[in-house]
Amino acid sequence: MSHDASANALETPTLFVPRRKQLFTGRRAIVASVFSSLLILGAIVAIFYVAPGGASVRYFFFNPQQMWESFTGNPAKGLSSVGAGIFTNIWMFCVCEVMVLLFGLLIAWVRMTTSAVLFPFRVLSTMYTDLFRGIPILLVIFMVGFGLPALGLGFISSQSPAVYGCISLTITYSAYVAEVFRAGINSVPNGQLLAARSLGLSSSATMKRVILPQAVRTVIPPLLNDFISMQKDTALVSTLGAIEATRAAQIYASTEFNFSGYVVASILFLLLTIPMTRFTDRLIAKDRVKRLAATR
Amino acid sequence: MSDVVLDLKSVTKRFDDNEVLRGVSLQLHRHEVVCLIGASGSGKSTLLRCANMLETIDGGDISLFGQSLSDPRIDPDLVRRNIGMVFQSYNLFPHLSVLENILLGPVFALKRKRSDVVDEAMTLLARIGLSERANEFPDRLSGGQQQRVAIVRSLAMQPALLLLDEVTSALDPTLIGEVLDLLRDLAHSGTTMLIATHEMGFAKDVANQVVYLDKGVLVEQGTPEQIFSNPQHEATRKFLERA
Amino acid sequence: MRSVRIALAAVLGASLLSAVSLSTAGAASSTQLATCKSTITSQEFKKGTLTVATDNPVYTPWFVDNKPSNGKGYESALVYEIAKVLGVSKSNVKWVSVPFDSSYTPGKKSFDFDINEISSTAERAKVVTFSQSYYDVDQSLVALKTNKIVTNHSPAELKTYQYGDQIGTTGLAYINKYIKPTKAARVYSTLDQAVAALQSGQIDAIAVDTPTGEYMAMAQIVDKNNKMLATQVGQFPSVGEHYGLLFEKNNPLAACINVAISTLRTNGTLSALTKKWLGIYTSVPALKP
Ligand SMILES: Nc1ncnc2c1ncn2[C@@H]1O[C@H](COP(=O)(O)OP(=O)(O)OP(=O)(O)O)[C@@H](O)[C@H]1O
Ligand SMILES: [Mg+2]
Repeated sequence: MSHDASANALETPTLFVPRRKQLFTGRRAIVASVFSSLLILGAIVAIFYVAPGGASVRYFFFNPQQMWESFTGNPAKGLSSVGAGIFTNIWMFCVCEVMVLLFGLLIAWVRMTTSAVLFPFRVLSTMYTDLFRGIPILLVIFMVGFGLPALGLGFISSQSPAVYGCISLTITYSAYVAEVFRAGINSVPNGQLLAARSLGLSSSATMKRVILPQAVRTVIPPLLNDFISMQKDTALVSTLGAIEATRAAQIYASTEFNFSGYVVASILFLLLTIPMTRFTDRLIAKDRVKRLAATR
Repeated sequence: MSDVVLDLKSVTKRFDDNEVLRGVSLQLHRHEVVCLIGASGSGKSTLLRCANMLETIDGGDISLFGQSLSDPRIDPDLVRRNIGMVFQSYNLFPHLSVLENILLGPVFALKRKRSDVVDEAMTLLARIGLSERANEFPDRLSGGQQQRVAIVRSLAMQPALLLLDEVTSALDPTLIGEVLDLLRDLAHSGTTMLIATHEMGFAKDVANQVVYLDKGVLVEQGTPEQIFSNPQHEATRKFLERA
Repeated sequence: MRSVRIALAAVLGASLLSAVSLSTAGAASSTQLATCKSTITSQEFKKGTLTVATDNPVYTPWFVDNKPSNGKGYESALVYEIAKVLGVSKSNVKWVSVPFDSSYTPGKKSFDFDINEISSTAERAKVVTFSQSYYDVDQSLVALKTNKIVTNHSPAELKTYQYGDQIGTTGLAYINKYIKPTKAARVYSTLDQAVAALQSGQIDAIAVDTPTGEYMAMAQIVDKNNKMLATQVGQFPSVGEHYGLLFEKNNPLAACINVAISTLRTNGTLSALTKKWLGIYTSVPALKP
């Protein structure tokens, strides 16, 4: 018997999940997810025990005694403390984040102005973002950290490595953050600019009162992303001689021939970045909810 | 002192090769309401935007209170503070409450004391029946309410001239009435307005003058009776038949 | 090829290991050497090569012109002398560049041994095997001639300076262990960076082994007319530090190399090499940490 293609099906359709997929629904789904998590975790741990070099890797990276010694440091052996070193990273990125925000915003702003007087600055800031997003950050650190002191300019040339590190990070990350700001500013509908300008607000008041407050919302997730990566890049100032967490771990490794200090440094960095990444994700989720509500 | 508020003399405007305004001349007197009608793309919005210097013109001259806007000494911000503009898509500031939307111009452009302006703003909100919504955010309001707030936001600047660009076009038919009522109200109280609109009935009602634009050319101008009952030009007649 | 080599060497090396240990290294008999030679010539290096690792860049007087394979400099010359004793031809000595930090990572190594002024310590010997000493080290301080440290270096005064050094060096360990300065020493990735910091006045002094320090002062830190800008402030008393060749843990080859080093010491080659490559350096004033 043949049916007309447009005719409704006569049988009652089944609405249940097929049997073989029932593992993934309801309570069973929870059990299944716990089970699979344990399985995968177990497999990873097992690799360290089953692999032929497992024992030496465990000793080399995860030796509790060595981890503790690297964390606290040991002056008698000339070992710096990874735990103390992390504070250098912390104050560095605290300072850098503020500077990068201000400087990045300034560059973005200059790039977006239309006034004829500012033309040369516009060209400069465009060149700036192109240049410093292209140059490897390590090179910037070397140029600043070894170049400025060599100039013999008194105050400018007599700063600590961490200060030169901050300057380098600010220079590089401002270029990235300026682009983030610019994208954020561009994401604000043009009608907002027109409305503000037709109220007679000056261009700076428009920026400050209307455009930036709206741009911030789009800007925050990528901005925090850059900040997280900057937190990790504070480790690069070790190349200038500053003893921060990774350099302390490296000293430990090269003295004791054991990498457990690196694991300690990684854990400390994670403790700093994980709250930040969680915070970012929550902001993104919250913003999504808000935007969905706004489109009702 | 003459009572000419806005004076356009043979204004031309081009976007690349596209001539959008071709020698438009138009005068707007104090307490006068002029309605701009014309097909989509005929240049109505462009004309309004030229009037408050959101666009620069390519030929002719525009003057406001007898002062030419092409004069290099003109400060565009001062011009715009004296002209209110309302857009088709409201363009309320979504990050500010209804009240803050209204306060923004007077406080940050006119540098008036906030406490002085709040009372005025509340009076304006009362006039459109939205006093209770003062502290809500714009996205909580209906389209008609938002557009009325946008109009009131311009009024808070106490402009000498109000430009309205198809302020009902984005609205649900059921909400158009409340906005037009407000505009009628403004017209009766003597607000000088230049209105681009597709609402012929409304134009007939409130306009002192109706101007028909066709592809950037001002084809015909006259009282509503002249334009709607006895159009002189073929193009005007055809347009009105379609509308 | 490598695994065969290790396996064969392990069988033969078992007896050697008991016979030749670090402590008995000085008294290598000619029979031991003969066994070792035959091990290497007949079983090991017949098909293969002696693969020697060192860092890049390398420094005078240990190497010359950053070219380990030219046989110049104490460590380069030593490697070729060892090869000669073991009957390995010059062309079968292959150099590979291995950063110091990867020289001690666990797992199979890509070299037979690493020679890079690496101090042999008990902690390090837990994960790698060291040869016996091929150079006994004293630490010395290098500073710019204009620096206060050149004249003011009593033990108390020494604590007040800003030191800097290359990561992982015993010079750095010496600073932290014995000088214990009040300002944390700065730590650089390469010695060149430490020197750059010294020249730009960011640090007051660097601690390095005496020969390296002499070279720095006499040839490295000079102006464009080759006028010396730095000086060796002085040399600290020995703390029993010595350099050893670094092998993968329990590499049986270490035993053979120890025999070779002992031979070179007994027959006077080591002191000849010291005189030739490190001997131009005059005596250095003594310092106390
Ligand atoms: N910024 C611009 N750049 C280029 N062309 C433009 C720009 N703004 C407007 N135009 C063009 O100018 C012409 C007139 O546009 P305008 O918006 O003034 O028409 P309108 O009469 O307001 O039409 P509508 O009734 O659809 O609003 C159109 O052809 C449009 O494409
Ligand atoms: Mg329009």
